[in-house]
Amino acid sequence: MIYAVDGLMATIGGQHILSGVSFSLDAGECVALVGASGSGKTTTAFAPFGLLPAMAGGSARLEGEELIGCSGTTLRGLRARAGFVFQQPATALAPHLTIGAQLAEAWRQTGAPRPTHEELVALLAEVGLDEPERLLAAYPHRLSGGQRQRAMIACAIAHRPALLVADEPTSALDAPLRAGIMRLFDRLRQTRGLALLLVSHDLPAVAGHATRALLLDNGHVVEAGDARTVLTYPVSREGRALVTAMPRLDEPLPPRPPIGAPLLEARGVSVDYALPGWRRRRLEAVKDADLRIAEGEAVALVGHSGSGKSTLARAIGRLGPQSGGSVHWRGAALPPRARMRTGHRRLIQPVFQDPAASLDPRWTVAEIVAEPLLRLRPELDARQRAEKVRTLLDEVGLASDFLDRRPATLSGGQAQRVAIARALAPEPELLLLDEATSALDVLIAGRILDLLLRLQRTRRLAMLFVTHDAAAARKLCHRTIAMEAGRIVER
Amino acid sequence: MRAILVRRLMTALPTMAAVILLSFLLMRVAPGGPFDAERPLDPATRAALAHAYGLDRPLIEQLGRYLLGLAQGDFGPSLVYRDFSVGDLVRQGLPVSLTLGGLALAVALPLGIAAGALAAMRPGGWADRVLMLAATIATLLPSFVTGPLLVLAFALLLGWLPVSGWGGGDPRHLLLPVIALALPTAGAIARLARAGLATTLAQDHVRTARARGLSEGRILLRHALRPALVPVASYVGPAAAGLLTGAVVVETVFALPGLGRYFVQGALNRDYPLVLAVVILYAGLILLFNLIADLLYGWLDPRAAG
Repeated sequence: MIYAVDGLMATIGGQHILSGVSFSLDAGECVALVGASGSGKTTTAFAPFGLLPAMAGGSARLEGEELIGCSGTTLRGLRARAGFVFQQPATALAPHLTIGAQLAEAWRQTGAPRPTHEELVALLAEVGLDEPERLLAAYPHRLSGGQRQRAMIACAIAHRPALLVADEPTSALDAPLRAGIMRLFDRLRQTRGLALLLVSHDLPAVAGHATRALLLDNGHVVEAGDARTVLTYPVSREGRALVTAMPRLDEPLPPRPPIGAPLLEARGVSVDYALPGWRRRRLEAVKDADLRIAEGEAVALVGHSGSGKSTLARAIGRLGPQSGGSVHWRGAALPPRARMRTGHRRLIQPVFQDPAASLDPRWTVAEIVAEPLLRLRPELDARQRAEKVRTLLDEVGLASDFLDRRPATLSGGQAQRVAIARALAPEPELLLLDEATSALDVLIAGRILDLLLRLQRTRRLAMLFVTHDAAAARKLCHRTIAMEAGRIVER
Repeated sequence: MRAILVRRLMTALPTMAAVILLSFLLMRVAPGGPFDAERPLDPATRAALAHAYGLDRPLIEQLGRYLLGLAQGDFGPSLVYRDFSVGDLVRQGLPVSLTLGGLALAVALPLGIAAGALAAMRPGGWADRVLMLAATIATLLPSFVTGPLLVLAFALLLGWLPVSGWGGGDPRHLLLPVIALALPTAGAIARLARAGLATTLAQDHVRTARARGLSEGRILLRHALRPALVPVASYVGPAAAGLLTGAVVVETVFALPGLGRYFVQGALNRDYPLVLAVVILYAGLILLFNLIADLLYGWLDPRAAG
């Protein structure tokens, strides 16, 4: 037995956020913690090791030694015997130390002698990184997202721990990179006998890779057992909600609402940026892209990060720059960004990825939703506006007691509903959804997707859905367009 | 690194040219001239003096002559200290100012960073509160208050140190002015370091360091301090140029023969070449220290170097 958790509890500021969580991990096994955000899965993973401001109770034994209740110095030593992988590889690595320096530090964290150059090269090869010479001398910001996460994993296993704790290790990565990281974990479990405690909201990955799964809800384990069984045939109400919220590529497609006349047509749109330096080189973010959207049609724009999909959507919506080509609205040319009139602005409305960041924290929900009405619907008076705001909130499924709340008091899903209500306020005909569900966890993202499906039917709204989630795109959209390196490659 | 150097140098030359041109013209636009004293000179003497220094020529010719001299390292004659060239005056004053400012910087940097780090170890603890209060007071008190207070305490009451004067660079003469000059800078550095560390210590990579089982002291020194010092570097660049080219107030309080007083007297007397020389020196140092700060950013946080 490498890691055994028995009756784990956790409190933050006297409030119970976790109770009675028990599981155990043997060499080579993988236990996955799944659940909606706020269900306590990250707390379960980190609280015993003192990596959260939470007070932990109960018992958690790492290789037979109790973690709960020991002194700070003892816990520090025990913590060093496990390895940790965090969600954001971009920020979890120290920006000012080379990969080589960070690997060497991790290698020595349990007292091993300084690693030789060959040992570090072998370690990088073990996590599937090429060009070890360049990477060892490089700072983290010079690495790609996937390379960073592999480097992070190399740091986490450098001191040959028996237990690896990974918190959403793939959620910041694109689909192909995710699969690669999951395969790497499988290999490390086999070759090193590593026990893996995995926090994830990627249910298909959990079903495919984990030995056992624990489904948490509100700080309690609601379901536990063989990973594939728990995630395919959940018996609890919470489990079924979680599993059904996840769009899957194998479920039958719902009928699509009918499509009307052509609405928007982009011809040969390109966007480029000047690169820093005096050689005046330019970065071509979007090259010669054609795109058509009809009334009531939902079009998915998919691609890796950096493929130019958001840049294209922003150029079309006149929110970002455009360097070439033209955009037509019902056959007439749409003016460039600086010359858009309120009448044009009304037609296309955006919803962004991070709802918390796209709402002004000092405004109330009522003010946020009413703002576009002031400019884009000047014919309404104050009373009509207030009435309209109430109707809009009702339409996105928020009660009127949300009117006076501010963004900081909203959950991610609620904030995204407010952002959608704001976008609907001026009665647009096209909604630009820029990764509108990507920052939300499965359950919440599923509900937002349901809301969008409903709006698609009731309002006959056209949508351009920028996403890297192929399953969500398939559920919502009539057509999918793929972008790669700034070009549209598939339609 | 090379790219930063090249880019900086390419902007430094036009900047220097603009500084020289603007100060040259502004000095001439300001009312009054170098030969206006309380008792007016008779017109003939005045004209003779103006002719001797070339001030009766067209402005463009004066500028041309000045630039030509400058290119040969000649800052011209002082119009007020008639027996000296501006080069002589600067050669006398600069070593004093450089010593004073360099020592003040050498005291303020480690003192400020150490105080900031100590305060950031336990935010809200007693050390944090005492140190930040001290830093605020040090920043707020002008050196014309701290200077005389230091003299009062250590020179007049205790009699340990001399009251004023250069003493040929005797360390005992330097101690009080260096402290008076270093205190406000150290206070500002301490506050910036404390704020930078508070931000950095809350970042993800510090949690990674904690997960590695490192001690809090090691986390602070190895994982947090360097990225946290970026704001300090951007403050110290221009501040260092100011310290090194003469702290007017401290030099006056302690009667030190530094560069600062030439700046003030030169401006009041319309001693055109003297003021221009000090301005050029100051601008050059600002450019130099901003370049050093830029290179420092790249080391403190490699993301800044691109």
